[in-house]
Amino acid sequence: MSAAGERRRFFRLPRSRSTIDRELDDEFQFHLEGRIEELVAAGLPPHEARAEALRRFGDPGEYRRQAHTIDEAQLRQEGRLEFRETARRELRHAVRALIRTPAFSAIAVITLAIGIGATTAIFTVLDRVVLRPLPYPAAEELVSVHHPTVVPGTGESIWGLSSAGYFVFKNENRTLQSLGAYRTTELTIAGDGEAERVKAGLITQDLFGTLGARPHVGRLFGSADDVPNGPRVAVLGYDLWQRRYGGDPNVVGRTIQTSYGTFEVVGIVHRGFALPKPGPFSSANDLAGFRTDVWLPLQLDPDAPAANSHQFGAIGRLASGVIPSVAESDLQRLTNTLPERYPRAYSQGFFDTYQFRLAVEPLRDAVLGPSLARTLWVLLGAAALVLLIAVANVANLFLVRIEMRRRDAALRTALGASRARLTLHALTEGLVLGAAAGAIGLGIAWLGVRAMLALAPTDVPRLAGVSLGWAAVGFGVALALASGVLFGMLPMLRGVADPSALRDGARGSSHSHRQRRARSGLVVAQVSLALMLLASAGLMLRSVAHLRQVEPGLDPTSTLAFTIAVPPSDYETAEAVAEFHRQLQETIGAMPGVTAVGAINRLPLRDFGVGCAVVFREGRPYADGEDTPCVETPKATPGVFRALGVRVEGREPTWDDVASNTGAVVVTRALADRMWPGEDPIGKGINSNGGTESGYYRIVGVVPELRASGLDHDPVEAVFYPAVGVPNSWIWGPMSSANYVVRSSLADPAILMPRIRQAVTAMNAGTPITEITSMEAVVERSMARISFIMLLLGAAAVAALTLSAVGLYGVISYLVSQRRGEIGVRIALGAHAAQVARMVMRQSLVLTAAGLLIGLAGAFAGTRLLSSLLYGVAPTDPVTLLGGAGLLVVVAAAASFGPARRAARVDPVDALRSS
Amino acid sequence: MTQSFDLIRGTLDLLILKTLSWGPMHGLSVTRWIEQVTGSRFQIEEGALYPALHRLEQRGWVSAEWGLSDNNRKAKFYQLTAEGRRQLRSEVARWDGYTEAVRLVLAATAP
Repeated sequence: MSAAGERRRFFRLPRSRSTIDRELDDEFQFHLEGRIEELVAAGLPPHEARAEALRRFGDPGEYRRQAHTIDEAQLRQEGRLEFRETARRELRHAVRALIRTPAFSAIAVITLAIGIGATTAIFTVLDRVVLRPLPYPAAEELVSVHHPTVVPGTGESIWGLSSAGYFVFKNENRTLQSLGAYRTTELTIAGDGEAERVKAGLITQDLFGTLGARPHVGRLFGSADDVPNGPRVAVLGYDLWQRRYGGDPNVVGRTIQTSYGTFEVVGIVHRGFALPKPGPFSSANDLAGFRTDVWLPLQLDPDAPAANSHQFGAIGRLASGVIPSVAESDLQRLTNTLPERYPRAYSQGFFDTYQFRLAVEPLRDAVLGPSLARTLWVLLGAAALVLLIAVANVANLFLVRIEMRRRDAALRTALGASRARLTLHALTEGLVLGAAAGAIGLGIAWLGVRAMLALAPTDVPRLAGVSLGWAAVGFGVALALASGVLFGMLPMLRGVADPSALRDGARGSSHSHRQRRARSGLVVAQVSLALMLLASAGLMLRSVAHLRQVEPGLDPTSTLAFTIAVPPSDYETAEAVAEFHRQLQETIGAMPGVTAVGAINRLPLRDFGVGCAVVFREGRPYADGEDTPCVETPKATPGVFRALGVRVEGREPTWDDVASNTGAVVVTRALADRMWPGEDPIGKGINSNGGTESGYYRIVGVVPELRASGLDHDPVEAVFYPAVGVPNSWIWGPMSSANYVVRSSLADPAILMPRIRQAVTAMNAGTPITEITSMEAVVERSMARISFIMLLLGAAAVAALTLSAVGLYGVISYLVSQRRGEIGVRIALGAHAAQVARMVMRQSLVLTAAGLLIGLAGAFAGTRLLSSLLYGVAPTDPVTLLGGAGLLVVVAAAASFGPARRAARVDPVDALRSS
Repeated sequence: MTQSFDLIRGTLDLLILKTLSWGPMHGLSVTRWIEQVTGSRFQIEEGALYPALHRLEQRGWVSAEWGLSDNNRKAKFYQLTAEGRRQLRSEVARWDGYTEAVRLVLAATAP
């Protein structure tokens, strides 16, 4: 029998899972029928023939199952192969197509990459700083409990709880699972090794539980630890334990020497555990590098007399199902009972004057503060605008490309290429482009995040250690893919594969009109977005310029500043500490190149603006309902005003004043004007004794103007108390922690530091020196946030301007090429080159003007978001808005200059022939 | 009466490849061919042929397509691919080596 003769090609079914079984049945049936016929032909009766054929075949079900398994595996394999093959082919196709038009591809990829990179970088910071939950279990239940107040003459301020208030809230609330209180401070650890300045958290015992702390070694605080005059025990932070004690578990049970005395270490808290924010009245400086190294029990006394002193931060955990506003009204109810319970500490008058109330705020919001989250959202918005402009640009480029390929695509459709196939081509091209842009964009984002970390103000919580994480990479990839798909789908949306394009002439078709409208619309959108960004950046620029013109009232040049902490165990009294400062100042003042030296416990423009104390005047108590000034009360040593370059009318206190305890103080003009309007304050008495007629400080000098709380704040109201209090007049303890300011005639005052260090060590080896800086740096850093925002918005605006110029250039060039024939006719009819050029320029300016109108409306609406960040300029400042618009007009004119010149040079013969 | 054998594992593939080396065939004619050549010496269920054929197809040694048989019925035809032909040559060489080795042992005289 001939095998070849038996076979005649018939058909070949594409196989699929459902056809496998049918084919096998057919195949088996053919076999069995063939056999039966054969056996019948050999003489067997049909039913016997059937039985025999089946016997010889074996179990069809079993063989069908085996063959089915094999076929299915093969089908899967073929599918995979086919997919891989298609993907490879389409990719190759797309990459080739993109390489064939290098200018298009490069511009599209770089444009998109800039947009994606900027947006991803800012999203990274926003994600890590704002969006991530705080690192505590069930962090969404945690709330900050505090007293917002409005201090007359100073403004809004966040106060902590008082000791008495804490116990009332803790014991009588109906809405919290637990409430813990704390304050933060610094202390010096001495003994076993070098003296080290560390950050301490003094906490009530329930705070560990509220925040979900676990002991790594030993134990945390129990209720027996947190009682008045209780055991002197400490828990160490994990990092300090590793850093100073090499992770030795035997530290537990040992005692440590600190500037607060000796403590027994009872445990190490789990790794990474820290307070969420510094305690109340902390400055920007406390936030920089904030951490918790040592934990001590607060040991508050519930039976101590209540005082209107609000120095405790409080963190509560909401009972299940309670929302913050419900807890807030619960605790407000208790707050309202304070005057009744503690009439000596609180009065209704105080409540009214200070608008004293209670707030329960989600802890994360309290950590960030309202302006930071808003700032980052504004920046993300700016980056998103850049991305939008970039996308508009690339969309425009794609539209040109589509136009060029229109006839080609139509021809292919007419020849039978499926729409799906053409869409697949375009989609792959878009995705390849998006992927390339995404890869470069992530690189840009990485650089951007590093640049932002280098430039960002140091007081942004949670910013340290931010890097491009998976969330950001995912975000960037999503942006890249989304833009890729968008561009890939464009041709389909524009109906490119429509065969009617073949009938259309190249010019004047309805399609071309549609196309032109789409492209012009994109340019108008770009210009309007660019104007919004330019306006924002311009407003920030003007704010910073205004700030730089502000006279701070001190001379920051040629200064050196550093912080020392005098160990209280060695210098217990205020007098001893003052004597330490006098001697140290004498030594430093005698160094060559030093022209003035002084110390102050709060450095202007860094530590001001975080708390206040009420001041009283001699012989004239405040009437009921009269404003009681709550002002800054720093302590200063003689010489500090000259060192800071602050002018003093009258005289500065001297060391003789300190020695003979004359209580000589300096106040600012702003305070003097409020307390003694129209009078000469020199010689007047002032104190912070709570209105009791006893020891007063004597005003000997007045500082005319000092903006110590921030350049954008009003001149500060302050009294500079001496390091030693006068009899019967308390001022908060010895001046153990002091910021030294040294004024020098040297070009670089920092070279004095080694000698100063020697001098400090010679006096007391256990006195650490930290925070070495200059007043110039302090002033600069006080503007860090606004400068940072200005820088980022400026970068966004420059990117937007560039991208818009590119977009405008592209569209005008396109319009000129479209109208070549028409231009040729005009020239042939005698139009001058200048007229033609003017016509093109006019077209560009019409588009720009339309964009500017929309952009102005957008800027009016959008810049309001910036208002809290601005200084000395309104969000709708006409100069800035018009300046931005003017700049855009100039850029638009420049961008259309090239195409206009090209139009003017059109050769009429050439143009008419080719049309 | 002729002797009959159980098919040695793996040899069915070799027999199919060899059979198809004469030209494209459907399963039934492969069966007939082997039957004819061996005089029905092999004890094998005919159904077992099909999983074997499909496996050879999966490996790319044979290709399959539907066609019409001599009596105009729809039948699936199998054909050796170039790769199948190469496979057949190497299988034959291996089989020869194997039987030669066995033969040498059986023919050996006492040591």
